[in-house]
Amino acid sequence: MSTNGYAHPEMLVETDWVAEHLKDPKVRIVESDEDVLLYEVGHVPGAVKIDWHTDLQDPLKRDYIDRERFEQLMSKAGIANDTKVVFYGDKNNWWACYALWVFKLFAHKDAVIMNGGRQKWIDEGRELSKDTPSYAPTQYRAQERDDKTIRAFREDVREHISSGLPLVDVRSPQEYSGELLHMPGYPQEGALRGGHIPGAKNIPWARAARENGTFKSPEELTQLYQPQGVTPDKDIIAYCRIGERSSHSWFVLTYLLGYPNVKNYDGSWTEWGNLVGAPIEK
Amino acid sequence: MDRQEYIEFILDHYHNPRGKGKLDDPDLLVNGGNPGCGDVVTLYVKLDDNDRITDARFDGEGCTISMAASSLLMEKLVGKTLPDIDAMDYAELVDEMGREVVQSRLRCATLAMDTLKAGAREYPSRKATGQKLIQPMVLAHTLKTD
Repeated sequence: MSTNGYAHPEMLVETDWVAEHLKDPKVRIVESDEDVLLYEVGHVPGAVKIDWHTDLQDPLKRDYIDRERFEQLMSKAGIANDTKVVFYGDKNNWWACYALWVFKLFAHKDAVIMNGGRQKWIDEGRELSKDTPSYAPTQYRAQERDDKTIRAFREDVREHISSGLPLVDVRSPQEYSGELLHMPGYPQEGALRGGHIPGAKNIPWARAARENGTFKSPEELTQLYQPQGVTPDKDIIAYCRIGERSSHSWFVLTYLLGYPNVKNYDGSWTEWGNLVGAPIEK
Repeated sequence: MDRQEYIEFILDHYHNPRGKGKLDDPDLLVNGGNPGCGDVVTLYVKLDDNDRITDARFDGEGCTISMAASSLLMEKLVGKTLPDIDAMDYAELVDEMGREVVQSRLRCATLAMDTLKAGAREYPSRKATGQKLIQPMVLAHTLKTD
Protein backbone atom coordinates (compact mmCIF):
# COMPACT_ATOMS: atom_id res chain seq x y z
CA MET A 1 0.00 0.00 0.00
CA SER A 2 1.00 3.58 -0.44
CA THR A 3 2.34 5.42 2.54
CA ASN A 4 2.38 8.99 1.42
CA GLY A 5 1.06 12.32 2.56
CA TYR A 6 -2.21 12.11 0.70
CA ALA A 7 -5.48 12.61 2.53
CA HIS A 8 -6.58 9.08 1.59
CA PRO A 9 -3.45 7.07 0.88
CA GLU A 10 -5.52 3.90 0.90
CA MET A 11 -6.94 4.97 -2.49
CA LEU A 12 -3.64 4.28 -4.24
CA VAL A 13 -1.63 1.12 -4.63
CA GLU A 14 1.82 0.95 -6.16
CA THR A 15 2.88 -1.38 -8.96
CA ASP A 16 4.88 -3.49 -6.47
CA TRP A 17 1.74 -4.13 -4.48
CA VAL A 18 -0.17 -5.14 -7.60
CA ALA A 19 2.61 -7.50 -8.68
CA GLU A 20 2.32 -9.22 -5.29
CA HIS A 21 -1.47 -9.57 -5.54
CA LEU A 22 -1.92 -10.82 -9.09
CA LYS A 23 -3.49 -14.05 -7.85
CA ASP A 24 -5.20 -12.69 -4.78
CA PRO A 25 -8.83 -13.87 -5.02
CA LYS A 26 -9.98 -10.84 -3.07
CA VAL A 27 -8.43 -8.49 -5.62
CA ARG A 28 -9.62 -7.85 -9.16
CA ILE A 29 -7.38 -5.83 -11.41
CA VAL A 30 -9.23 -3.82 -14.04
CA GLU A 31 -7.74 -2.10 -17.07
CA SER A 32 -9.67 0.87 -18.42
CA ASP A 33 -8.12 2.79 -21.30
CA GLU A 34 -8.79 5.58 -23.70
CA ASP A 35 -7.22 3.43 -26.40
CA VAL A 36 -9.78 0.67 -26.64
CA LEU A 37 -7.41 -2.01 -27.92
CA LEU A 38 -4.47 -1.56 -25.57
CA TYR A 39 -5.76 -4.33 -23.33
CA GLU A 40 -5.51 -6.67 -26.30
CA VAL A 41 -1.93 -5.52 -26.97
CA GLY A 42 -1.09 -6.82 -23.51
CA HIS A 43 -2.26 -6.28 -19.95
CA VAL A 44 -1.39 -6.96 -16.34
CA PRO A 45 -1.75 -10.73 -15.92
CA GLY A 46 -5.20 -11.60 -14.66
CA ALA A 47 -6.64 -8.17 -15.36
CA VAL A 48 -10.09 -7.79 -16.87
CA LYS A 49 -11.06 -5.02 -19.25
CA ILE A 50 -13.79 -2.49 -18.65
CA ASP A 51 -14.49 -0.22 -21.60
CA TRP A 52 -15.89 3.14 -20.53
CA HIS A 53 -17.98 3.35 -23.69
CA THR A 54 -19.39 -0.11 -24.19
CA ASP A 55 -19.49 -1.28 -20.57
CA LEU A 56 -20.30 1.80 -18.50
CA GLN A 57 -22.55 3.84 -20.77
CA ASP A 58 -26.21 3.25 -21.44
CA PRO A 59 -26.38 2.21 -25.10
CA LEU A 60 -29.42 4.39 -25.84
CA LYS A 61 -29.64 7.50 -23.71
CA ARG A 62 -26.76 9.67 -22.60
CA ASP A 63 -26.32 8.27 -19.13
CA TYR A 64 -24.53 5.57 -17.24
CA ILE A 65 -25.73 2.02 -16.90
CA ASP A 66 -28.35 1.34 -14.24
CA ARG A 67 -28.04 -0.80 -11.13
CA GLU A 68 -29.09 -4.00 -12.86
CA ARG A 69 -26.57 -3.64 -15.67
CA PHE A 70 -23.86 -2.71 -13.20
CA GLU A 71 -24.57 -5.87 -11.23
CA GLN A 72 -24.34 -7.90 -14.45
CA LEU A 73 -21.03 -6.24 -15.31
CA MET A 74 -19.65 -7.00 -11.86
CA SER A 75 -20.78 -10.59 -12.02
CA LYS A 76 -19.20 -11.08 -15.45
CA ALA A 77 -15.90 -9.60 -14.22
CA GLY A 78 -15.90 -11.84 -11.16
CA ILE A 79 -16.21 -8.88 -8.81
CA ALA A 80 -18.04 -9.40 -5.53
CA ASN A 81 -19.22 -6.69 -3.17
CA ASP A 82 -16.14 -7.15 -1.00
CA THR A 83 -13.62 -7.42 -3.85
CA LYS A 84 -10.84 -4.87 -3.88
CA VAL A 85 -10.92 -3.43 -7.40
CA VAL A 86 -7.63 -2.03 -8.65
CA PHE A 87 -8.00 0.22 -11.67
CA TYR A 88 -5.19 1.11 -14.02
CA GLY A 89 -4.99 2.42 -17.55
CA ASP A 90 -3.30 4.56 -20.14
CA LYS A 91 -2.77 8.33 -20.16
CA ASN A 92 -1.97 8.88 -16.49
CA ASN A 93 -4.88 6.73 -15.36
CA TRP A 94 -7.30 9.18 -16.88
CA TRP A 95 -9.84 6.50 -17.83
CA ALA A 96 -9.09 4.40 -14.80
CA CYS A 97 -10.25 7.33 -12.66
CA TYR A 98 -13.34 7.65 -14.81
CA ALA A 99 -14.22 3.99 -14.26
CA LEU A 100 -13.56 4.35 -10.55
CA TRP A 101 -15.87 7.35 -10.43
CA VAL A 102 -18.64 5.31 -12.03
CA PHE A 103 -18.03 2.50 -9.52
CA LYS A 104 -18.46 5.07 -6.76
CA LEU A 105 -21.82 6.11 -8.21
CA PHE A 106 -22.85 2.59 -7.26
CA ALA A 107 -20.99 2.83 -3.95
CA HIS A 108 -18.57 -0.01 -4.59
CA LYS A 109 -16.67 0.14 -1.33
CA ASP A 110 -13.10 -0.83 -2.14
CA ALA A 111 -11.88 0.64 -5.43
CA VAL A 112 -8.38 2.05 -5.83
CA ILE A 113 -5.98 3.28 -8.50
CA MET A 114 -2.61 1.73 -9.38
CA ASN A 115 -0.32 4.75 -9.20
CA GLY A 116 1.43 5.37 -12.50
CA GLY A 117 -0.96 3.21 -14.47
CA ARG A 118 -0.18 1.12 -17.49
CA GLN A 119 2.88 3.08 -18.57
CA LYS A 120 4.68 2.70 -15.24
CA TRP A 121 3.98 -1.02 -15.21
CA ILE A 122 5.51 -1.32 -18.68
CA ASP A 123 8.42 1.02 -17.94
CA GLU A 124 9.34 -1.17 -14.99
CA GLY A 125 9.61 -4.14 -17.33
CA ARG A 126 6.80 -6.04 -15.71
CA GLU A 127 4.98 -8.91 -17.37
CA LEU A 128 2.16 -8.30 -19.83
CA SER A 129 -0.29 -10.99 -20.81
CA LYS A 130 -2.55 -11.46 -23.82
CA ASP A 131 -4.64 -14.10 -22.09
CA THR A 132 -8.17 -13.04 -21.31
CA PRO A 133 -9.00 -14.45 -17.89
CA SER A 134 -12.35 -15.92 -16.98
CA TYR A 135 -13.67 -15.69 -13.45
CA ALA A 136 -16.61 -17.36 -11.81
CA PRO A 137 -19.72 -15.15 -11.87
CA THR A 138 -20.63 -13.44 -8.62
CA GLN A 139 -23.90 -12.49 -6.96
CA TYR A 140 -23.15 -8.78 -6.82
CA ARG A 141 -25.76 -6.57 -5.20
CA ALA A 142 -25.43 -2.85 -5.91
CA GLN A 143 -27.38 0.04 -4.53
CA GLU A 144 -29.24 2.33 -6.91
CA ARG A 145 -26.95 4.74 -8.70
CA ASP A 146 -26.38 7.84 -6.55
CA ASP A 147 -26.48 10.85 -8.85
CA LYS A 148 -26.48 13.42 -6.04
CA THR A 149 -23.23 13.09 -4.14
CA ILE A 150 -20.41 13.13 -6.66
CA ARG A 151 -22.24 13.87 -9.91
CA ALA A 152 -23.37 17.32 -11.07
CA PHE A 153 -25.98 18.22 -13.68
CA ARG A 154 -26.42 21.44 -15.60
CA GLU A 155 -28.84 22.87 -13.04
CA ASP A 156 -26.24 22.28 -10.35
CA VAL A 157 -23.80 24.21 -12.50
CA ARG A 158 -26.22 27.11 -12.89
CA GLU A 159 -26.66 27.26 -9.12
CA HIS A 160 -22.92 27.05 -8.69
CA ILE A 161 -22.45 30.05 -10.98
CA SER A 162 -25.12 32.00 -9.10
CA SER A 163 -23.48 31.21 -5.77
CA GLY A 164 -20.03 32.17 -6.98
CA LEU A 165 -18.63 28.76 -6.11
CA PRO A 166 -15.54 27.34 -7.86
CA LEU A 167 -15.80 25.56 -11.15
CA VAL A 168 -12.73 23.82 -12.49
CA ASP A 169 -12.34 23.47 -16.24
CA VAL A 170 -9.73 20.73 -16.60
CA ARG A 171 -9.44 20.86 -20.41
CA SER A 172 -6.45 22.22 -22.26
CA PRO A 173 -5.97 25.99 -22.38
CA GLN A 174 -6.91 25.96 -26.07
CA GLU A 175 -10.22 24.30 -25.36
CA TYR A 176 -10.82 26.63 -22.41
CA SER A 177 -10.32 29.66 -24.63
CA GLY A 178 -12.42 28.20 -27.42
CA GLU A 179 -9.50 28.25 -29.83
CA LEU A 180 -9.49 24.52 -30.56
CA LEU A 181 -13.04 24.37 -31.82
CA HIS A 182 -12.14 26.80 -34.51
CA MET A 183 -8.98 25.22 -35.84
CA PRO A 184 -9.50 24.72 -39.57
CA GLY A 185 -9.35 21.22 -40.91
CA TYR A 186 -10.04 19.49 -37.61
CA PRO A 187 -13.12 17.59 -36.57
CA GLN A 188 -15.49 19.48 -34.35
CA GLU A 189 -15.51 18.32 -30.79
CA GLY A 190 -19.23 17.96 -30.50
CA ALA A 191 -20.05 21.48 -29.35
CA LEU A 192 -21.45 24.42 -31.27
CA ARG A 193 -19.70 27.03 -29.16
CA GLY A 194 -16.19 27.27 -27.81
CA GLY A 195 -15.11 28.76 -24.52
CA HIS A 196 -15.80 27.91 -20.91
CA ILE A 197 -18.45 28.14 -18.21
CA PRO A 198 -18.42 31.65 -16.70
CA GLY A 199 -16.08 31.92 -13.77
CA ALA A 200 -14.42 28.55 -14.28
CA LYS A 201 -10.71 28.31 -13.53
CA ASN A 202 -8.56 26.46 -16.05
CA ILE A 203 -6.50 23.81 -14.28
CA PRO A 204 -5.71 21.11 -16.87
CA TRP A 205 -6.13 17.65 -15.41
CA ALA A 206 -2.75 16.27 -16.47
CA ARG A 207 -0.87 18.84 -14.40
CA ALA A 208 -1.68 16.62 -11.44
CA ALA A 209 0.53 13.88 -12.88
CA ARG A 210 4.28 13.49 -13.17
CA GLU A 211 6.08 12.45 -16.34
CA ASN A 212 5.95 8.80 -15.24
CA GLY A 213 2.18 8.97 -14.78
CA THR A 214 2.20 8.93 -10.98
CA PHE A 215 0.38 11.58 -9.03
CA LYS A 216 2.28 14.61 -7.86
CA SER A 217 2.98 15.16 -4.19
CA PRO A 218 0.31 16.62 -1.88
CA GLU A 219 2.28 19.85 -1.70
CA GLU A 220 2.48 20.15 -5.49
CA LEU A 221 -1.21 19.36 -5.86
CA THR A 222 -2.15 21.90 -3.24
CA GLN A 223 -0.16 24.51 -5.12
CA LEU A 224 -1.99 23.61 -8.28
CA TYR A 225 -5.47 24.26 -6.91
CA GLN A 226 -5.43 26.55 -3.90
CA PRO A 227 -3.91 29.65 -5.55
CA GLN A 228 -6.81 29.48 -8.03
CA GLY A 229 -9.34 29.65 -5.20
CA VAL A 230 -10.15 25.96 -5.37
CA THR A 231 -10.04 25.26 -1.66
CA PRO A 232 -11.42 22.46 0.51
CA ASP A 233 -13.89 24.68 2.35
CA LYS A 234 -15.93 25.18 -0.84
CA ASP A 235 -18.14 22.95 -2.95
CA ILE A 236 -16.34 22.24 -6.20
CA ILE A 237 -17.59 21.18 -9.63
CA ALA A 238 -15.10 19.92 -12.19
CA TYR A 239 -15.82 19.46 -15.87
CA CYS A 240 -14.12 18.79 -19.19
CA ARG A 241 -15.64 17.61 -22.48
CA ILE A 242 -17.63 14.54 -21.43
CA GLY A 243 -16.57 14.13 -17.81
CA GLU A 244 -13.65 11.75 -18.26
CA ARG A 245 -10.68 14.05 -17.71
CA SER A 246 -12.52 15.78 -14.90
CA SER A 247 -12.99 12.47 -13.10
CA HIS A 248 -9.18 12.41 -12.80
CA SER A 249 -9.28 15.84 -11.18
CA TRP A 250 -12.22 14.71 -9.04
CA PHE A 251 -10.09 11.81 -7.81
CA VAL A 252 -7.19 14.12 -7.01
CA LEU A 253 -9.30 16.66 -5.16
CA THR A 254 -11.42 14.11 -3.30
CA TYR A 255 -8.94 11.45 -2.32
CA LEU A 256 -5.46 12.89 -2.59
CA LEU A 257 -6.25 16.33 -1.19
CA GLY A 258 -9.28 15.32 0.87
CA TYR A 259 -11.76 17.92 -0.37
CA PRO A 260 -15.13 16.86 1.09
CA ASN A 261 -17.49 18.11 -1.63
CA VAL A 262 -16.36 17.65 -5.20
CA LYS A 263 -18.69 16.78 -8.04
CA ASN A 264 -18.00 15.80 -11.61
CA TYR A 265 -20.20 17.42 -14.26
CA ASP A 266 -20.19 14.67 -16.88
CA GLY A 267 -22.45 16.63 -19.23
CA SER A 268 -19.44 18.91 -19.45
CA TRP A 269 -18.67 20.98 -22.52
CA THR A 270 -20.50 18.74 -24.97
CA GLU A 271 -23.66 19.66 -23.07
CA TRP A 272 -22.90 23.22 -21.97
CA GLY A 273 -21.42 24.27 -25.31
CA ASN A 274 -24.57 23.10 -27.08
CA LEU A 275 -27.11 24.33 -24.53
CA VAL A 276 -29.37 27.04 -25.91
CA GLY A 277 -28.98 30.20 -23.89
CA ALA A 278 -26.26 28.92 -21.60
CA PRO A 279 -23.80 31.68 -20.69
CA ILE A 280 -20.24 31.25 -21.99
CA GLU A 281 -17.00 33.08 -21.44
CA LYS A 282 -14.01 33.13 -23.71
CA MET B 1 -13.92 -12.80 -39.42
CA ASP B 2 -14.89 -12.95 -35.78
CA ARG B 3 -14.13 -10.22 -33.27
CA GLN B 4 -10.81 -11.71 -32.22
CA GLU B 5 -9.66 -11.99 -35.83
CA TYR B 6 -10.53 -8.35 -36.45
CA ILE B 7 -8.54 -7.39 -33.37
CA GLU B 8 -5.57 -9.44 -34.60
CA PHE B 9 -5.88 -7.75 -38.01
CA ILE B 10 -5.84 -4.29 -36.41
CA LEU B 11 -2.96 -5.12 -34.10
CA ASP B 12 -0.95 -6.47 -37.01
CA HIS B 13 -1.25 -3.11 -38.76
CA TYR B 14 -0.46 -1.35 -35.48
CA HIS B 15 2.67 -3.39 -34.79
CA ASN B 16 3.78 -3.61 -38.44
CA PRO B 17 2.58 -0.39 -40.04
CA ARG B 18 2.58 -0.23 -43.84
CA GLY B 19 3.73 2.98 -45.42
CA LYS B 20 4.97 4.56 -42.17
CA GLY B 21 7.43 7.38 -42.71
CA LYS B 22 7.88 10.52 -44.74
CA LEU B 23 8.40 11.39 -48.39
CA ASP B 24 10.73 14.04 -49.67
CA ASP B 25 9.16 16.73 -51.80
CA PRO B 26 5.55 15.51 -51.62
CA ASP B 27 2.87 17.07 -53.78
CA LEU B 28 0.39 16.78 -51.00
CA LEU B 29 1.24 17.06 -47.33
CA VAL B 30 -1.76 17.23 -45.06
CA ASN B 31 -2.29 16.62 -41.42
CA GLY B 32 -5.16 16.08 -39.11
CA GLY B 33 -5.86 15.26 -35.54
CA ASN B 34 -8.34 14.53 -32.85
CA PRO B 35 -7.81 17.23 -30.26
CA GLY B 36 -9.76 15.29 -27.69
CA CYS B 37 -7.54 12.25 -27.51
CA GLY B 38 -4.22 13.27 -29.00
CA ASP B 39 -4.23 11.38 -32.29
CA VAL B 40 -2.28 13.16 -34.97
CA VAL B 41 -1.46 12.00 -38.48
CA THR B 42 0.49 13.57 -41.31
CA LEU B 43 0.10 12.22 -44.83
CA TYR B 44 2.68 12.54 -47.61
CA VAL B 45 1.48 11.89 -51.16
CA LYS B 46 3.23 12.02 -54.51
CA LEU B 47 1.15 12.47 -57.66
CA ASP B 48 1.97 12.03 -61.32
CA ASP B 49 1.00 14.51 -64.04
CA ASN B 50 -2.50 13.05 -64.14
CA ASP B 51 -2.95 13.45 -60.41
CA ARG B 52 -2.66 9.73 -59.85
CA ILE B 53 -0.98 8.66 -56.62
CA THR B 54 2.45 7.15 -57.15
CA ASP B 55 3.53 6.91 -53.52
CA ALA B 56 2.17 7.64 -50.07
CA ARG B 57 3.38 7.58 -46.47
CA PHE B 58 1.96 8.46 -43.10
CA ASP B 59 3.56 9.65 -39.91
CA GLY B 60 2.00 10.35 -36.59
CA GLU B 61 1.11 9.12 -33.18
CA GLY B 62 -2.05 7.99 -31.59
CA CYS B 63 -4.15 5.09 -30.48
CA THR B 64 -4.04 1.58 -31.92
CA ILE B 65 -7.08 2.16 -34.12
CA SER B 66 -5.98 5.47 -35.64
CA MET B 67 -2.51 4.17 -36.42
CA ALA B 68 -3.77 0.84 -37.78
CA ALA B 69 -6.33 2.65 -39.95
CA SER B 70 -3.60 4.91 -41.33
CA SER B 71 -1.52 1.87 -42.20
CA LEU B 72 -4.48 0.15 -43.84
CA LEU B 73 -5.22 3.25 -45.90
CA MET B 74 -1.65 3.42 -47.21
CA GLU B 75 -2.09 -0.01 -48.76
CA LYS B 76 -4.95 1.28 -50.90
CA LEU B 77 -3.59 4.49 -52.36
CA VAL B 78 -1.09 3.83 -55.13
CA GLY B 79 -2.81 4.15 -58.50
CA LYS B 80 -5.79 6.08 -57.22
CA THR B 81 -6.77 9.48 -58.60
CA LEU B 82 -8.08 12.38 -56.56
CA PRO B 83 -11.69 11.63 -57.55
CA ASP B 84 -11.05 8.03 -56.45
CA ILE B 85 -10.01 9.36 -53.04
CA ASP B 86 -13.13 11.46 -52.86
CA ALA B 87 -15.19 8.38 -53.63
CA MET B 88 -13.56 6.16 -51.00
CA ASP B 89 -16.13 4.88 -48.56
CA TYR B 90 -15.71 5.37 -44.82
CA ALA B 91 -18.06 2.49 -44.18
CA GLU B 92 -15.92 0.06 -46.15
CA LEU B 93 -12.87 0.99 -44.11
CA VAL B 94 -14.78 0.59 -40.88
CA ASP B 95 -16.16 -2.76 -41.98
CA GLU B 96 -12.71 -3.93 -42.97
CA MET B 97 -11.45 -3.17 -39.47
CA GLY B 98 -14.48 -4.74 -37.85
CA ARG B 99 -17.32 -2.37 -37.14
CA GLU B 100 -18.04 -3.89 -33.75
CA VAL B 101 -14.43 -3.46 -32.69
CA VAL B 102 -13.99 0.15 -33.78
CA GLN B 103 -17.52 1.51 -33.42
CA SER B 104 -16.71 3.45 -30.28
CA ARG B 105 -13.75 5.07 -32.03
CA LEU B 106 -15.07 5.84 -35.49
CA ARG B 107 -13.29 9.17 -35.50
CA CYS B 108 -9.98 7.43 -34.86
CA ALA B 109 -10.72 4.83 -37.53
CA THR B 110 -11.50 7.45 -40.14
CA LEU B 111 -8.95 10.11 -39.18
CA ALA B 112 -6.41 9.33 -41.92
CA MET B 113 -9.04 8.91 -44.61
CA ASP B 114 -10.80 12.07 -43.53
CA THR B 115 -7.53 13.98 -43.61
CA LEU B 116 -6.66 12.65 -47.05
CA LYS B 117 -10.10 13.45 -48.45
CA ALA B 118 -9.82 17.01 -47.18
CA GLY B 119 -6.44 17.36 -48.88
CA ALA B 120 -7.66 15.78 -52.12
CA ARG B 121 -10.53 18.21 -52.29
CA GLU B 122 -8.31 21.22 -51.77
CA TYR B 123 -5.43 20.15 -54.01
CA PRO B 124 -6.91 21.06 -57.44
CA SER B 125 -7.38 24.71 -56.52
CA ARG B 126 -3.82 24.88 -55.21
CA LYS B 127 -2.48 23.19 -58.31
CA ALA B 128 -4.33 25.70 -60.47
CA THR B 129 -2.19 28.40 -58.90
CA GLY B 130 0.97 26.41 -59.54
CA GLN B 131 1.42 25.39 -55.92
CA LYS B 132 1.61 22.15 -54.04
CA LEU B 133 -0.61 21.60 -51.04
CA ILE B 134 1.66 21.73 -48.05
CA GLN B 135 0.01 22.31 -44.70
CA PRO B 136 2.15 23.35 -41.76
CA MET B 137 3.01 20.51 -39.46
CA VAL B 138 0.78 20.19 -36.46
CA LEU B 139 2.78 19.67 -33.32
CA ALA B 140 1.39 16.79 -31.40
CA HIS B 141 1.62 18.56 -28.09
CA THR B 142 -0.84 21.19 -29.26
CA LEU B 143 -3.41 18.47 -29.74
CA LYS B 144 -2.90 16.62 -26.55
CA THR B 145 -5.07 17.18 -23.59
CA ASP B 146 -2.37 19.00 -21.69
